[in-house]
Amino acid sequence: MRDRHLKYLFVLPALVLVLVTSFWPLLQSFWLSFREWKLSRARESRPLWEPEYDGWETWPYLLENYQRALEDDLLWNSVQVTSTFMISSVIVSVGLALGLALLLARGGKFRLTVRTLLILPFAMSPALIGISWRFMFQPDFGLFQAFFGALVPGLAGVDWLGDPTLALIAIVGSDVWHWTPYLTLVFIGGLANVPRDAQEAAMIDGASSWRVFVDVTLPALIPVLAVGIILKSIFSLKMFDQVYMLTNGGPGNATQTLAHYIYFHGFKYYDMGYASAVSYLLVIPMLGLTWLYMKLVFLKR
Amino acid sequence: MGNSIRKQVADLFQFALILCAAVAILVPIYWIASGAFKQQVDVFQLKLLFTPTLANFDEIFKSPYNLHEKLLNSTLVAGTTVIVAIPMATMAAYSFSRFRLRFERTMFLMILSTQFVPAVVIVLPYFLLFRDLGLLDTRLALVLVNLSLILPFAIWMIKGFIDGIPLDTEEAALVDGSSRLQVIWNIVLPMALPGILTAAIFCFILAWNEFLFAVIITNSKAVTMPVGLSLFHAEEGVLWHLISAAGILIMLPMFGLAMIIQKHFVQGMTLGAVR
Repeated sequence: MRDRHLKYLFVLPALVLVLVTSFWPLLQSFWLSFREWKLSRARESRPLWEPEYDGWETWPYLLENYQRALEDDLLWNSVQVTSTFMISSVIVSVGLALGLALLLARGGKFRLTVRTLLILPFAMSPALIGISWRFMFQPDFGLFQAFFGALVPGLAGVDWLGDPTLALIAIVGSDVWHWTPYLTLVFIGGLANVPRDAQEAAMIDGASSWRVFVDVTLPALIPVLAVGIILKSIFSLKMFDQVYMLTNGGPGNATQTLAHYIYFHGFKYYDMGYASAVSYLLVIPMLGLTWLYMKLVFLKR
Repeated sequence: MGNSIRKQVADLFQFALILCAAVAILVPIYWIASGAFKQQVDVFQLKLLFTPTLANFDEIFKSPYNLHEKLLNSTLVAGTTVIVAIPMATMAAYSFSRFRLRFERTMFLMILSTQFVPAVVIVLPYFLLFRDLGLLDTRLALVLVNLSLILPFAIWMIKGFIDGIPLDTEEAALVDGSSRLQVIWNIVLPMALPGILTAAIFCFILAWNEFLFAVIITNSKAVTMPVGLSLFHAEEGVLWHLISAAGILIMLPMFGLAMIIQKHFVQGMTLGAVR
């Protein structure tokens, strides 16, 4: 067989499968977002662009689902929870990871052993992390509960997951634990590419190690830092597993992220049209971040 | 003199910080692992010494938990996903790596960008489709949705490995009259095999830990290990000692696999698992 046929034949199965498994559902939920479909009540979906006869005729309104979403306080609550979560977990995990990467960048047996440990949290199931964090934040017998209670007197005996702020902190904590080690490994990889001689030259010129860090190391690290920050933001934006297992959105709706909100409307209330519309509101910021990420990682070459 | 003392203090300080980080990583893992060997009463205490027991591992495999079924589901779903995805991904990756294709960049970016679509958007239409087809709560359904997560990532990772293989041997063999398929089978595959295996292990970890799809699409027959964690409730409350025992079965095999592919872990993860 000739190469010019073969090369397309090779791509075909994968391309078809990607189209079927990713693009079809994307288009399908876009279509659904303009329809009303409560699974518990109706067998079929109803297009929002046709008037409904329900005793009297209501106006057809194509964007009903979207409007309902934008007018729902709980949606805005989940937007706020998601952004608070995203900003704090990105800052804390990237900051800690950068510090740890600088500490571990030098070789030596001790440091290399610790580096090996860094892959463990990321190989762990987020659902398992979530549920065991819930255990460790239990009042009376929780490990973290006891630890932070001993450290900060005000926190002794506090019910972490019953307090809106502390519950969110607990989720951020579990996420930081999951992500920081991985980001550290990424940054160590980035540090390996920082020109050694430039650092040494600056040292010889009498620059303090802080100035060397700010003037030489940090600028060289910016590309890999950017990748880390964007990647972490993308993951944070769709945070679901730990929320589901650790707090299930509570207390009240204090830790309900957007993904959890969509899950709730889709699979607890079975309101498919509405859930699709909200999920498209999540797709938009995601597209922005993805575009940035692609630009940084792939398009440069 | 003063300088060297300062350096020693700084070294000691660094050592202490690194040690703290190591402890912070290990303590939660230890706490989960140790809970698996505790009796129910000991779980509710913070003491470090306890009489270990293996009874929990016995109990989780009995009714009503039947964890062996979930273990089988997880293994079959993750295994099938990888077995279907890797050959397709390898073929596509080879084409992307070695040939110039029409719309190459568009196709490649399209495949990669799917990695960033939130899983919760994908799962809505799938839920409806599987409902109509009677496929809800089946392993087949899980494999299908997992492919949307695994395949793009496998293509990207394997392409990276094939890009790293020098072209000369391939070209020499082609000049000598071997066909393209012979070249791929005899030369490229053996050289790319470590990379392909790394990608396979990696994808297996991703599929094994996948939670959102599984929690929505399964409810009894096809439940996987991470979803099975929520089963351990009784009238007296959450059965932490059993959760810990199940937790060990979820995390230990993945730790083993992650250690095998340690070197490529970071590189792979930079794109993977984005959903």
